[in-house]
Amino acid sequence: MFDLLERALERTRDLKASYVELRGEDGFIEYLQMDDGRISALTQRIERGCAIRVLADGAWGFVTTGDLENLDGAIEDAYSIAKAAAPTRKEPIELAEINAVRDKVKSSAKEDPRNVSVEEKVDYLQDTMNVIRDYDERITAVTLKMRNASGEKFLLTSEGTRIQSPVNLVWIYPWVTGKDGTRLSAARYEEASTHQGWEFMKETATPEFIGEQVAKRVKLQLDGVPAKGGSFPCVMGPRVIGVLAHEALGHLAEADLTVNTPFNGRIGEVVAAEDVNMIDDGTYPGGLGTTKYDDEGTPTSRVEIIKDSVLTELMTNREYAAKIGQRPTGNARAESYLYPPIIRMRNTMFEKGDYVYDEIFEDIDFGYYCADFRGGQAQMNASFQVGVQEAYEIVNGEVGRPVMDLSISGIATDALFKIDAIAKEDFPFELGRCGKGQTAYVSSGGPTIRFSKGGITFGGKE
Amino acid sequence: MIDEKELLDLCDHAVTLGVEKGADQIEAIAQFKSELETEVEQGEVSSVNRIMGNEIAIRVFVEKRMGSAFTNIATKDSVSEAVSLALQAAKAANPDDDFVSLSKPSEYPSIPGLWNDSIITTDPGQVVNEVVEIVKRGASHKDLVPAMASSGANAYLVAYANNNGVRHAEKTSIGYGFLAAIAKTESGVTPMVFAVDIGRGLDIRKEAIVHEVAEILDMCKKEVMGKSGRHTVVFHPRALLQLLQYTLVPSIKGENVARGKSKIGDKIGEQIASEKITLYDDGTHPKGIASSIADDEGVARQKTTVIDRGVLRSFLWDTYWGNRMGVSSTGNASRNMREGLIEIKSTNIVIEPGTRSIENIISDIDYGYYIQNVQGAHSSNPESGDFSIVGNPAILIEDGKKVGQVHGLMVSGNAFDLLKQVGEIAKEPHYLQGIIAPEIVFSDTSIIAKE
Repeated sequence: MFDLLERALERTRDLKASYVELRGEDGFIEYLQMDDGRISALTQRIERGCAIRVLADGAWGFVTTGDLENLDGAIEDAYSIAKAAAPTRKEPIELAEINAVRDKVKSSAKEDPRNVSVEEKVDYLQDTMNVIRDYDERITAVTLKMRNASGEKFLLTSEGTRIQSPVNLVWIYPWVTGKDGTRLSAARYEEASTHQGWEFMKETATPEFIGEQVAKRVKLQLDGVPAKGGSFPCVMGPRVIGVLAHEALGHLAEADLTVNTPFNGRIGEVVAAEDVNMIDDGTYPGGLGTTKYDDEGTPTSRVEIIKDSVLTELMTNREYAAKIGQRPTGNARAESYLYPPIIRMRNTMFEKGDYVYDEIFEDIDFGYYCADFRGGQAQMNASFQVGVQEAYEIVNGEVGRPVMDLSISGIATDALFKIDAIAKEDFPFELGRCGKGQTAYVSSGGPTIRFSKGGITFGGKE
Repeated sequence: MIDEKELLDLCDHAVTLGVEKGADQIEAIAQFKSELETEVEQGEVSSVNRIMGNEIAIRVFVEKRMGSAFTNIATKDSVSEAVSLALQAAKAANPDDDFVSLSKPSEYPSIPGLWNDSIITTDPGQVVNEVVEIVKRGASHKDLVPAMASSGANAYLVAYANNNGVRHAEKTSIGYGFLAAIAKTESGVTPMVFAVDIGRGLDIRKEAIVHEVAEILDMCKKEVMGKSGRHTVVFHPRALLQLLQYTLVPSIKGENVARGKSKIGDKIGEQIASEKITLYDDGTHPKGIASSIADDEGVARQKTTVIDRGVLRSFLWDTYWGNRMGVSSTGNASRNMREGLIEIKSTNIVIEPGTRSIENIISDIDYGYYIQNVQGAHSSNPESGDFSIVGNPAILIEDGKKVGQVHGLMVSGNAFDLLKQVGEIAKEPHYLQGIIAPEIVFSDTSIIAKE
């Protein structure tokens, strides 16, 4: 495919465009779903296509096509629709400079899921289903979703960049329903790797591990007591603090969104309590959001969003780096050739503090410990909401009874000042997908963190 | 550009070939889509995007074993290859003894106005002009800062065939304009507020979009404190749809009923909501954006009464789950073309209006909240119906007047309880994507205000 794209790019030389970018993709993608033992979807496909982005007279034209025989026509089209937008702009779009790169990134996956038989994958799903079913007799329905991908993507730009990178994905997502009398409840879990192949499912996300993770959460839901409504001192475990880093703060620090948020114009200002550090790191080894380059060819990097409680840096692509006078951080990502690259997070986390884990709970007479979440959403005015599917009461400094479904909310810019203890522990990452018009695989995490009363509101029912 | 008759030829080819090669049942669905959309960032058009392509999905059953395949290349050779892949996948699958049959022929409704030629004849420059005009009019309002905007002209051609003799082709078009904006407040910014006008052609009501955004932002500029407790809450249909999509709607999907995942699965004929609520799923509504002649299994769309004056009357079905439970499909099958999954989906949720205007209703509320939009509806528990969401923007109503926006207002409860707490339904429906409904007033709703 490289040659095909190279020849097409060659023919754009006479186009009066300031920048032409071709992103080709050639890969295998499969999706399997099992509902209560029945295979309800099993589709394997080979996907080939190309995304074309042309910057002409200061505006973008973007065309996506699966018709690789007619790339010239698609490039012409991208050029002409960019020209249609250009006269309406007051200032032309400019791109921050990056070095043109020629590189071929090798896949680190050992066992390509393409070469694993369908029978083995169906067996994996059936085994996971059995583990879940056997965990608790109150489990009544199980849906398992699996997505695997392997292939190559190609980036060629008129500036001379030529990058070939692997596309790897193994992903498993169970959704489990439990019933106790008339009480119905549900929980979900998610594991994925973008660096390992099928070996990840055999060694890490095994049916036993996945099954137990999700089934225990359903059991806790069925056994849980209702949460109170209001604001309480609370402790967020790594999976929930990670999603707060992502939803509550990360989105405000995506440069294309920042201008419409309370972070606008606040670089260099204190935005959080003492000792709060938060980063997005595209280079974190093995991270779900880690790649060597972004989808514009910029090397990924560690972005220190909040350093020593000061808002320090935003996540950018080339366009916004030029616009705000910051470096391109390598955060331009596209879900596939069907979408243009936009600013996305990668591996977002709070950094470790200096509290011993047990000390964090000690001073709380009554509060909540939130251990796992289900979904979250941010708004531009820094309002965030996170659904919590695993939580416990904290009574007199001790973690107590499990709590039924609840959600927490707050205003991120206020809540950051209510952080009063950060553990000095290593932490696991929560792996998931972020939606911003297109899906990106991301991870997030952080050490256990305590918020004083007034930081987080609990949407309980009592 | 391929036309719908050529797409149907490809489907016929797949079906004939599949039967020849040993499929007991085979269906093919072929789509062509052309989406032209503009993107505005920070008040200026940043990009014009064209997404165009074909999608062809095949599903076969051999001795009750299912296999499926996908290709994005609309040629007979490629479709033949996909049929072979689907047959191969079926060999690896376990037999599904509950499978009865693919869809059977049905009588299709006639729905006027699903297609507007202007969508494909319009020059990209004109689509750009639409959004430029929306932004220009928006920026002329004091304090309104256009954050994002878009306009689009989309065409969808689809064909379906199976070996039970179902053959169908149709085309639909979508034209839309969108504006999202913020305003500065004393302490920061308002939530991002948006409005959309969506129809079949490019006759976008630009002034209506701008007016709606400006009106909501005006309510949000003043920040006020809320009070926890049980209060009257008015839901705008755009907020209500989000809540229903993750609570009531999963419970009326036939698959969830059949699998014991619906809290109201055994409540047909029972009062599950206030008698003020009459709710349909109407895939044939001429003003419904989700309307079409047939669903993704070639089954005729229909109007299904789900709740009649509070009494649960029907669930929504596709062919598989309908057959399995001994009822007919309600034309609610939706197919993820690339992944091969067929799910039951609502089309246009229609709620019958009441008699008084929303202004009159609000003027009678002593203390309550007007929820324009919500955050976190997707984290609700679809099985139990429990929800705990943030109203944003949430407008405080005092003495019949909208007095300002409340930050971080949480609304929590159970969707099935909430449906019984309907105080009143306003008279004018809003025609939104996925719902056609007026504002609904719920009494005695649990509110947790940020302290």
